[in-house]
Amino acid sequence: MALFTPSFSFKISASSSPRRCRFVKARRSFTLRAAVAVESPSFSSADRDGAPKLLLEVKDLSAVIAESKQPILKGVNLTVHEGEVHAVMGKNGSGKSTFAKVLVGHPDYEITGGSITYKGQDLLEMEPEERALAGLFMSFQSPVEIPGVSNIDFLNMAYNARRRKLGLPELGPIEFYGYVAPKLEIVNMKIDFLNRNVNEGFSGGERKRNEILQLAVLGAELSILDEIDSGLDVDALRDVAKAVNGLLTPNNSVLMITHYLRLLEFIKPTYIHIMENGRIVKTGDISIAEILEREGYKAISNT
Amino acid sequence: MSCSTLNSYLPKLWTPPRSRSRPPRTAITKVFAQPPILAVLSDPHVLRLAETLEDSIASTSSAFPPPPLQKLRDISSQSLLSTPWPSRKDEPFRFTDTSFIKNSDVQPVNPLSTQSLSSLGVLAEALLPSLAIIDGYLVDSLSELPELPDGVFVGALSRLNSEDIMERVSKYVSSFQGDLFWSLNGVGAPDVIVVYVPEGCKVESPLHLRFFSLNGTDKDSKTLPISNPRVLVLVEKGGEISIVEEYKGGDRNDVCYWTNSVMEIVLGDGAKVSHSYIQEQSFGAAHVKWTSVCQECTSIYELTEVSTGGKLSRHNVHVQQVGPDTVTELSTFHLAIGDQLQDLHSKLVLDHPRGFSRQLHKCIVAHSLGQAVFDGNVQVNREAQQTDAGQLTRSLLLEPRATVNVKPNLQIIADDVKCSHGAAISDLEENQLFYFRARGIDIEAARKALIFSFAAEVVERFPDSAVRKRVESLIRRLLDPSLPSREKE
Ligand SMILES: Nc1ncnc2c1ncn2[C@@H]1O[C@H](COP(=O)(O)OP(=O)(O)OP(=O)(O)O)[C@@H](O)[C@H]1O
Ligand SMILES: [Mg+2]
Repeated sequence: MALFTPSFSFKISASSSPRRCRFVKARRSFTLRAAVAVESPSFSSADRDGAPKLLLEVKDLSAVIAESKQPILKGVNLTVHEGEVHAVMGKNGSGKSTFAKVLVGHPDYEITGGSITYKGQDLLEMEPEERALAGLFMSFQSPVEIPGVSNIDFLNMAYNARRRKLGLPELGPIEFYGYVAPKLEIVNMKIDFLNRNVNEGFSGGERKRNEILQLAVLGAELSILDEIDSGLDVDALRDVAKAVNGLLTPNNSVLMITHYLRLLEFIKPTYIHIMENGRIVKTGDISIAEILEREGYKAISNT
Repeated sequence: MSCSTLNSYLPKLWTPPRSRSRPPRTAITKVFAQPPILAVLSDPHVLRLAETLEDSIASTSSAFPPPPLQKLRDISSQSLLSTPWPSRKDEPFRFTDTSFIKNSDVQPVNPLSTQSLSSLGVLAEALLPSLAIIDGYLVDSLSELPELPDGVFVGALSRLNSEDIMERVSKYVSSFQGDLFWSLNGVGAPDVIVVYVPEGCKVESPLHLRFFSLNGTDKDSKTLPISNPRVLVLVEKGGEISIVEEYKGGDRNDVCYWTNSVMEIVLGDGAKVSHSYIQEQSFGAAHVKWTSVCQECTSIYELTEVSTGGKLSRHNVHVQQVGPDTVTELSTFHLAIGDQLQDLHSKLVLDHPRGFSRQLHKCIVAHSLGQAVFDGNVQVNREAQQTDAGQLTRSLLLEPRATVNVKPNLQIIADDVKCSHGAAISDLEENQLFYFRARGIDIEAARKALIFSFAAEVVERFPDSAVRKRVESLIRRLLDPSLPSREKE
C-alpha cells in the first residue's frame, strides 16, 4: 500500500498534461517500493510495454437504497487504471455520491447487480474497513461530525490501523503528533485543529480541508473525492487542489466528482464521465466539461 | 430494547415528603419511648432495621455524642416511625426496585473488624493526601490531610473542639429531610465527618474523601453488611473548596454490601464548592447516596459525577437555591455494563431571582439486564424571575432489552424565565460508525471510541486532571474487559 509520500514540493504547471505520470515517475518511484512489496499479492507487476495496470473495474453495477429498495444506480460501467484521474459529472441527484459511497461500502445501499473488481479482488466481498486498508479513500461530500473524538485521536487510530495492516509498529500519541503536525501545512490548517473534535463546528471549507488532511496522513491508491471544491473560496480551492496534486504519484489514481470546470483545471482528468439517472452516459476528455460549462447538460445529453 | 420517556410538567405530581407534615408520635422500642398511636404508619420492617442500627451505635460509640449528632439521631429515628419501606407504587421508586436490600438480612459493620485491616491493597493507590473512611468509619492511621489554611476543620464531629464551629454545625445538621434512606443514615451514622471552611478562605488543594467498603459477603449469603457514612460540608461566606468523593469496594468485584451515604453541603454567600463524585462499588453492592445542597446568594455549586458500580445504585441530589444569583451545575454520567440499576433522582429548587442552572445527565446501558433511571426535577418558583435553567439528558442503549426510564420534568411557576430541556435515547449513529470504518478503523474499535466519547463530555468536566485520567481509564477498562482489571497509574 502506498503510504503517503512525503514530498510536496511538486508544483503543477498550467501546461502539465493529464498523463503527468511520466515526468514524476523517476523521482517518486523509490518512495513506493517498500509499500508495494507489502501489498497487492494478487497483482502482477506492470506490463512490459508500460501500459498501466488495471485498478478498478465496475461492471453493470446497480444498487438500491437499502431501506426503501428504491433503485439509484442502474448499470454503471467504469474502468480505472493506475495513475489515471477520472472525473464524474452530472446533474444533482443523478447518483454520483451514491456511486462513490457504494464503492467504499456504505451500509445505506444494497447492491442488486453487477460487479466491482479492485486490484483483482471482488470489492463487494470486502468490509468498508478492509476496502480502506486496501487503499481506497473517499472524501465525503458532507463529512459527519463526531463530538467527543478529537481529530488527532481519530487520525491516530486510522493511521495505526494502516500500520498494523502493513506489519509496522503503531505510533503512540507523541510520535504521531510529530508525524502529523507537518501535514497540516499541506492543507493550510492551524495546529489547534488537531485538538478539535472531528468536524464538529467546522465550516464547509474546513471540513473539506480536513478530509484532504486525512488523505495526506493515510495515503490512498484510489482517492474518491466527492465535491472537494464545493463551498470553497478561490484560495481554498487552490490549496486543496494543490494538496491533492502533491499527494498523487504515478501509480495512484483519482475518481473525483465535481460540478465545475475550475477544479478540473487544477487537477487534470484523463477522462470525464457524465452520469445521468444512475448510469454513465458519456465518457470523453476535458472538452466535455468545457461544453458543459458553456451550454449546460442539455448540450451533451443523449436523450 | 425498551424504554419509556415521561414528560411531566404537572406540579401536582409532586407531593411533599410525608414525614414533614405529620409529626411522628409512634414508638415501639426503648428508643422510641412513647406508646404507638399511629401504628398504621409504622413499617415493622423499617423499625426492626432502625433498632438494629441503634443497637449497633449504642454498643460501639460514645454514650455522650456531641449535641448535633444526638439531634440528628433523634430527628432521624422520629421520622423513621412514619416512613414505610418504599414500594414501586411510590412515585420516587416507581422504576427502582429496592427489594434486593429489603430481602437481605442487613447487619451493621462492626468498627473492630474494620480497624484490623491487614490486606489494604485497595488503599495502596491512596498516596496523595486523603481521608480514608472504611465501612463508614474515619480511619486516622490511613488518612492524611493536605495542607489546610488556618481555621479550616476537617475531621470527625466527635473530635471537634471549637465551640463556634460546633454551633454552626448544629444549625445545619439535618436541616433537610430526605427519604427513608436519609433517615436510616441519620440513625446509623457512627459520627459525622465535618469539613468547615471559614469566611473568605479559599482552600487550594482538593480534599479527597475515599470511602471503602471492605466488609462484604458472598453473593449467596443473605447477610448484607451496612455502613452509613455521613459528611457535612460547611463553607462560609466567600469560602472555596474542591471535594473529591470516591466510593470503592475491596479487591473483589462481586461482593455484597450496602453503603448508605449522606453528604450535606451548605454554601454561604458567594461561596464556591466544586464537587467530584465517583462511584465504583462492587457489582454486588447496594449503594444509596444522598447529596443535599443549600446555596446562599451568588454561591456556585458544581457537581461532576461518574457512577459505574453497584448492583443497585441510587443517587439523590437535592439542591436548594436560597438566595438570588446562585449558580448550579450538575454533570453526571452513569454506566451499567452488567445486571445493574443506575438511578439518579435530582431535584433543583430555584426560589430566588436570577438563578442559573445547567444539568447534563448521560447514561449508557450496555447489558440486556441493565437499567438506568433518571428523574430530574427542576422547580422554578414564583420569586425566581429571570432564571436560566437548562436540562439535557441523553441515554445510549447498547444491547437489546437494555432499559432506561427517563423522567425529566420542569415545573415553572415564575413567568419571566429561560428554561430548556431535552431528552434523547439512541443507539450509536450509523453514519459516525461508517466514517471510522471508511478510514480503516474496525467496527469494534469504532464502537468503543464512540461510546467513550459519549462519556467524555461529562468526564472532561472533572476539574482535577488526575481524577479525570483515572476516571477515563476506569471507563475504558469497564467498556473493554480485555484490558487489565486494575489500572496502573
Ligand atoms: N440514503 C438515502 N436515502 C434516501 N435517498 C437517497 C439516499 N441516498 C441517495 N438518495 C437519493 O438518490 C438520489 C441520488 O443521490 P446522490 O446523492 O447520489 O446524488 P448526486 O448525484 O451526488 O447529487 P448532488 O450533485 O446533488 O450531490 C437522490 O435523489 C437522493 O435523494
Ligand atoms: Mg453528491
